[in-house]
Amino acid sequence: MFRYQKRLQFPVDIKTKNVRLAKLLIDQYGGSQSELAAALRYFNQRYTMPDNKGKALLTDIATEELSHLEIIAAMVYQLMKDATIDEIKAAGLDAHYAEHKKALYPTDSNGVPFTITYISTTGDPLADLSEDMAAEQKARAVYENIIDLTDDPDVLRPLLWLRQREIVHYNRFKELFNYYQKKFNKKQDQVDNNMNNMTNMNDMLGMNTPMDNYIVDVNEAILRN
Amino acid sequence: MYNYNYLDNYNNLRSNINNTSYVPSYDNYNMDRSADDRVTVGGMELFAPKEAYEKGNLFKDLYTPYKNYKPYKLTPKDERQKLFLELSEYDFAAHELNLYLDLHPEDKKALNLFNDYRRRANELLEKYESQYGPLTVSSDALVKSPFLWEEQTFPFDKGGVSNV
Repeated sequence: MFRYQKRLQFPVDIKTKNVRLAKLLIDQYGGSQSELAAALRYFNQRYTMPDNKGKALLTDIATEELSHLEIIAAMVYQLMKDATIDEIKAAGLDAHYAEHKKALYPTDSNGVPFTITYISTTGDPLADLSEDMAAEQKARAVYENIIDLTDDPDVLRPLLWLRQREIVHYNRFKELFNYYQKKFNKKQDQVDNNMNNMTNMNDMLGMNTPMDNYIVDVNEAILRN
Repeated sequence: MYNYNYLDNYNNLRSNINNTSYVPSYDNYNMDRSADDRVTVGGMELFAPKEAYEKGNLFKDLYTPYKNYKPYKLTPKDERQKLFLELSEYDFAAHELNLYLDLHPEDKKALNLFNDYRRRANELLEKYESQYGPLTVSSDALVKSPFLWEEQTFPFDKGGVSNV
């Protein structure tokens, strides 16, 4: 379960409105590499991690991503709050205004609404963690692109901080990826060494894997012949 | 480098850690330190909570600045903001060790440091809530009428506690 704390993980206090910047920053709220995508990606992948190391890390990072989503929301809100209609038009956010006024709505910086197809789950920890590592790197790159486009210290301060979090998360995911890769490759080596002993293979691979079913099929084929 | 009062707390905390002999001892974090004075977890050197929070990274070896940008200083304007910032710092340091411990549950040194930071963050949360009102809906500060959970400014609005 989740409980709200009435504070941000990192402070946001933007003194100068900037609608144009809000339009760029919204990408990290509802774009393909957004904090929203990150949170949903890890929350959905955590159930099928093969052990508690994976379940714990994905749960804790997904939870932190929600706090980051809230930081981005606070920034977009403060950048837009006092904007005039003329400023909104000039920044190209009139289409957003027509539909949402100044309300938050997860889109990318071109106004394309968030879609869950930005994320995937495969049930394969190595495939899922590869996606997670790539997602953290891409989110870091997008933060750097936005940092390049502003000189407001009130905006740079949280963006530099959030960028650094992507680096930490990437490294944690990489560590877990390497751990699983070593673990599973070892298993695969054992399997290779026992290629002539078909009956041991189910034990080697564990229950309920697609490979299990394949091996059962092969055994049945051998029996039939 | 940093002259905030709560560095004393950090040093006291460090002394406590030193008593359990997990971490090499030094009395003043601001002084130049020799290589074996470093606080390390899993062979990685750690920043002190304040510096870690400003940088967004507890692990010195993982810290990677962007271009020539330096992290901005967080400057509390009053006692309330100072206490809030200190809470955020220890909470963040504990969270960083939480992520590390997820993958290294057997690391006793990291676990002890995590528990020291976690305890300190809990103490600061209780102190903050008793003086300035609830940040959590389980706070004892909520016995007062009217219902302070609703009354107090949200952190994304001007004057919210996160506007340091």
